[in-house]
Amino acid sequence: MKSIILLRMPLVRLALAVLGYALLMANQSCDNFVEVDRPNSQLIGKTVFEDMTTATAAMSGLYAKLRGSGPLAGNGLGVSALAGMYADELDYYQTGNINFYNNSLIAAEAGNAALWNNTYHQIYEANSIIEGLNNSTTLPVAGRDQLLGESLFVRATLHFYLVNLYGDVPYITTTDYIANSHVSRTPTATVYTLIQSDLEQAISLLPESYVTAERVRPNKFAAYAMLARVCLYRGAYAEASNAASTVLNSPLYVWEPDLNKVFVKNSTTTIWQFSPAANGNNTSEGNLFIFTAGPPANVALRNDFVGAFEANDQRKAKWTKAVTNGANTWYHAYKYKQQASTPSSMEYSVVLRLAEQVLIRAEARARLGELTNAKADLDLIRITAGLLPTTAVSQSDLIAEILNQRRFELFTEFGNRFFDLKRSGLADTVLPTVKTGWSPTDKLWPIPANELVINPNLNPQNPGY
Amino acid sequence: MNKKPIGNMGIYLFLLCLCFQVTFAFGDKKQETRSKRLFAVNGGDSSFVGMTIKQSIITGTVSDAHGGLPGVTVSVKNKPVSTITNENGQFSIAAEVGDVLVFSYIGYAAVTVTVDSRRVYDVIMQEDATTLKEVTVNAGYYTVKDKELTGSISKITSKELEKQPVTNVLAAMQGRMAGVDIIQDGGTAGGGFQIKIRGVNSLRADGNSPLYIIDGVPYSSESIGYASINSGMASPTSPLNSINPSDIESIEVLKDADATAIYGSRGANGVVLLTTKKGKVGRTKITVNATSGTGKATRFIDLMHTEQYLAMRKDGFAKDNITTYPASAYDVNGTWDQNRYTDWQKELLGGTAEFKNLNVSVSGGSAQTQYLLSGTTNTETAVIPGDFRYRKAAGHFSMNHAGEDNRFKLALSGGYTKQFNKQSTTDLTRLARNLAPNAPALYTADGELNWENNTFSNPLALLRGYSTVKTNDLIANVTLNYALTPKWEIKANMGYTNLDNHEQRLQPSSINNPSLNISSSSSLLYENVTTRESTIIEPQIRWADSFGKGKLDILVGGTAQKQTTGRLYTLGQGFASNSLITNMASANNKFVLASDVTEYKYQAFFGRVNYNYNDKYIVNLTGRRDGSSRFGPGKQFAYFGAAGAAWVFTNETSLKNSSWLSFGKLRASYGTTGNDQIGDYQYLNTYASSGQAYQGITGLEPTRLFNPEFGWEKSTKLEVALETGFLSDRIVLTTAFYRNRSSNQLVGVPLSGTTGFSSINANLDATVQNQGLEITVHTDNLRGKNLRWSTNVTIATARNKLISFPGLETSTYANTYVVGEPITIVKLYQYKGVNAQTGLFEFADLNGDGIINAAGDKHYVADLTPKYFGGFQNQLKYKNWDLDFLFQFVKQQTYNYTPGSANGTFFNQSTDYANVWQQSGDMAAYQMNTSGANSAAVTAFSRYTASDAIIVDGSYIRLKNIALTYTVPLKYKTMNCKLTVQGQNVLTFTNYKGGDPEFRATGFLPPLRVITGGVQLSF
Repeated sequence: MKSIILLRMPLVRLALAVLGYALLMANQSCDNFVEVDRPNSQLIGKTVFEDMTTATAAMSGLYAKLRGSGPLAGNGLGVSALAGMYADELDYYQTGNINFYNNSLIAAEAGNAALWNNTYHQIYEANSIIEGLNNSTTLPVAGRDQLLGESLFVRATLHFYLVNLYGDVPYITTTDYIANSHVSRTPTATVYTLIQSDLEQAISLLPESYVTAERVRPNKFAAYAMLARVCLYRGAYAEASNAASTVLNSPLYVWEPDLNKVFVKNSTTTIWQFSPAANGNNTSEGNLFIFTAGPPANVALRNDFVGAFEANDQRKAKWTKAVTNGANTWYHAYKYKQQASTPSSMEYSVVLRLAEQVLIRAEARARLGELTNAKADLDLIRITAGLLPTTAVSQSDLIAEILNQRRFELFTEFGNRFFDLKRSGLADTVLPTVKTGWSPTDKLWPIPANELVINPNLNPQNPGY
Repeated sequence: MNKKPIGNMGIYLFLLCLCFQVTFAFGDKKQETRSKRLFAVNGGDSSFVGMTIKQSIITGTVSDAHGGLPGVTVSVKNKPVSTITNENGQFSIAAEVGDVLVFSYIGYAAVTVTVDSRRVYDVIMQEDATTLKEVTVNAGYYTVKDKELTGSISKITSKELEKQPVTNVLAAMQGRMAGVDIIQDGGTAGGGFQIKIRGVNSLRADGNSPLYIIDGVPYSSESIGYASINSGMASPTSPLNSINPSDIESIEVLKDADATAIYGSRGANGVVLLTTKKGKVGRTKITVNATSGTGKATRFIDLMHTEQYLAMRKDGFAKDNITTYPASAYDVNGTWDQNRYTDWQKELLGGTAEFKNLNVSVSGGSAQTQYLLSGTTNTETAVIPGDFRYRKAAGHFSMNHAGEDNRFKLALSGGYTKQFNKQSTTDLTRLARNLAPNAPALYTADGELNWENNTFSNPLALLRGYSTVKTNDLIANVTLNYALTPKWEIKANMGYTNLDNHEQRLQPSSINNPSLNISSSSSLLYENVTTRESTIIEPQIRWADSFGKGKLDILVGGTAQKQTTGRLYTLGQGFASNSLITNMASANNKFVLASDVTEYKYQAFFGRVNYNYNDKYIVNLTGRRDGSSRFGPGKQFAYFGAAGAAWVFTNETSLKNSSWLSFGKLRASYGTTGNDQIGDYQYLNTYASSGQAYQGITGLEPTRLFNPEFGWEKSTKLEVALETGFLSDRIVLTTAFYRNRSSNQLVGVPLSGTTGFSSINANLDATVQNQGLEITVHTDNLRGKNLRWSTNVTIATARNKLISFPGLETSTYANTYVVGEPITIVKLYQYKGVNAQTGLFEFADLNGDGIINAAGDKHYVADLTPKYFGGFQNQLKYKNWDLDFLFQFVKQQTYNYTPGSANGTFFNQSTDYANVWQQSGDMAAYQMNTSGANSAAVTAFSRYTASDAIIVDGSYIRLKNIALTYTVPLKYKTMNCKLTVQGQNVLTFTNYKGGDPEFRATGFLPPLRVITGGVQLSF
């Protein structure tokens, strides 16, 4: 047995070995053992913004998130679906978000909390990019300005949805979690000022042309388009009219008379759209809204909405579709025609488009008293829809007709209908007639209950919750 | 990528090799005399020099009532000479006249014989139940006799394990160890467990896992799979499923500072040591163990039948003043048959799961070398409809070798486990409780799934979406031990684990109603491959010596561990056909959702000094210096240590011959341990791939909110315990009081959503205290020849308390915790009853501002920590019959079953909701029904589910385990045949109505009641 030999080992040598071992253990080099390199799949934050490729990838990551979650998502979690069923556009056939449909939101509403959290997470990413770009010294100026403009535009857009859904909301402009965890609610007017200031800065930074071949990253006109909407909402009609005109006057955008071509991916009326996750994918909206057999599985257009289209309105024929099982008939939104993937993508989700700018300018002009010009804009929409020019003459009739056209032009697009009802003061007149659960405090959604628990500075909760 | 981790690891290996190489190279004859002399000079009491001169060889046979007894340790008292009896009980040992031979064997009374002129000694040993305190306890880096233990260690052995039809060792520990609280996360095979040793120390929910060590190799219990893949389970796959209970010899749980401080940073939540089975000296023995049985869901909830349900629904619409039922209200608007009734719980969860287990082992060996080889297969099916099953195949190998003089020892053990688990990605429990009782049939007359003209989301279609998890796990360990001199011993422990987990989640388009026209181009395949590899090396030096009546034992060692985890998480979208869905290559679009490698390195030096004076006074000091890669530069190292002392007062002369008190020990310990369960790289500010492409560019996203400042979390633990044995240890009582305080807590501080994230890792200046009492009583009630009966009772109380939290009011925890209250509290609305006028649930306006809301009024404090819990275990033996049973009891408050939606909506409800408010003046238990359109009612209901009204008594007594064994009398003595019937979760006594009281993850299948029968044959 070898251990016999081991016995004979000189103790001195053993002692030396032990000592050497002990020394080694105590050696500084041992402490290095616990040092690890950064993980191979992660980049140190600072280096991301030293190179255009990685900085662009960070921006792309943010767009991918906007496409899949938060207010702009075209799936059942976004504002198109939630505000559509909350107002008078959609019927709901599922249970998960039934409280939106019933106007019975609770403070702890899961879908509402997810929307809030996802939106602020996207704002964090925008701020992280803004800070990274501001600290970067190596990026080319043009590229840096482009990305900075894009992230300011995104930050402003997200806050626009927050302020319209929740009223006073914190306007977040930093990644500092200590400051952000104790923020208070910013008054609505201030939120609008900050949105406008971000958009104006974005306008100054962004180029007129799109940075890539498709209109999937915002340019200067996208920021103008958003600015036009914001100014309209806050009643700065001259500014709204001017911003919309800037967009409408750009040769990049050409009016499309064929309603079936408005939502295809190369539409000349698109100002900003989302690139799909993979080639062949079409829009989340198409997937959510379209159904081929009844009863619908998820959402359907309300029958009273479809019934309210003016006779001969081509938007009813081309942008909605009836499905029947013999006994009943249901309608779905049919702006997007593709429910599933196709060999090559045919439709992208359109976030900003020309028709809204026409309607914004029409309304701004009407409210400014420029009734002739307002009528001209309004009639462009009516005629494209196959209708005769409007018979409205007075300012109030024109405004009413413009809001009416907004309802049928922009339905199921990012809560336009819900917001229009609120800002025009019609919500409490219109909604109680079609929604049994409606009460005046339902105009604002609740700040998620957990937010108030963690950050009491966000008190008070919106009334009614 | 790596700097040179192998290099560092290599140094240790090199050194170790060096030690041995040097030995072999210089161990020639020339040195012999000198080294002997040195030993003699150094050795003091023992004498190697004299060995060859005066001693002679003593031989003999050791036997018991059944014949030769192999494996008995024969040693010479006060000399480093020992041997083990061979397969026939024979031994041979060198001794001289006047030496005392000590024969010892677990479970037998030791025998001592003084050597006289005779050369042959035959010894007969008697089985002895009083040697309980002689049992050796594994403390990790060292072993210690139970009676000399200064710390708190609980132990169960294969005897208890083999009586339970379980696939996870944690299940086998339930109710058997004082202060160890284990909850099974569900009845789906392969699911996880929650284990809390002496309460919740960390505010971080995922920071309370103990450290698991298998044969000296740390085994990461961090879950492997993605929760999104295993969505049919309450918690992700537990890696501990890889440990095969039938291969485990013993499980020791280290609880106090004295026992855990040597594990330093990783000991804060206790340490679970698993020791695998080893071969035993004796002839080759083959054991075959086959069991099979069935499992069923334990308890269901009383839900409304159709008539009651429809009445509630119609009333809901009436109360909302809705006279025309909406088109989507299929249950009441005439679309569905209103005379139909299905008990959905029975229909969807009432099936029977089959359990099959086969274990074959071969073991044996000589006094020098012992081996064991075993193989196990295990199958478990599900209670839900469909072909779901869990399969496990495990192989275990163990070899021990000792040189003839027992100086050099080698232990090798290895285990390889293969698991396959196919489970539905949807747990049907919630659906079964929510579905309207008049929902249509699952199948049409033609046997197809019934969609009832698109009005019914058929739950069975969901089962077409399932996950498969394949796990291969290798654990190997080598321990080399060499006694340099009688006083010096060097040891090296090396371990390797390799876990390979491949999981797929399939979401074929066929889970959807066919009328939706969703084709296979929308089918999804999620695939995740995780590999986790870890190596550890722990060189140790031990020195032990006696000085008069004192014995000193010193151990010094080091640890270097590296763990690398790689994962690749991919998504395939769109397939030409659903039959190609398991093949990622067939996907039209493929996305890499995550691909990364994380590295965890850990390094430590540890030591132990133990002084034992005359077996009366024992002092044990342990310490450790730890470094972990989970902390940022400058924060990586920390020191931990503990002191323990014991006084065996029955060894004092005044008590030595007490007739009633056979053993008495008072022990105490105090020390610090730490916790680094925070995840890797959390101190880095990084961007990683988001897995989402935009314009073909894969996006980057900020990985986390980072905090470079966080460092070690420390816990101080204090324990005082009294261990007593009465009437020759027929009654053994241990009472331990402990108080653990953890401070500088490493937590994910919850953040408001406005920060963009839900939490950030930081050290919190808060102190959490856990204190409690643990009592274990063992009694030998009957010790007859034919009838034996013994009882074990464990009971533990645990009280958690937040001692201090500077700045609590301004922190994000302001509405979560209260100083002086446990951290396990939940804050709730205070329920006042149903308002007789409005008919709605009412709550106390605790802050008196006239408004009920979460921030202002959700302040009623309820504590869900069990008040006490424990087990009552009995072992009865009558002739050839053995009966074992264990009752587990828990005194606690828990959540009642809460329906998914307000009463009156399109959700079935428990029968309690028949008593609802109808009209002004009613004193009802529940508020008025609503179809969902009454906002005030919906809000009140949601507050009700977050109020103290749903906190109910969840105490229970459960016959956790029962096993009846009959040993078949056989002619051949070498053959042994046993027949057993075993049951798990057999009976439950409780007032709880919300399903299973043990189980707290609502909406998932509770643990099953399992009954199995088996045959064990050994020859």
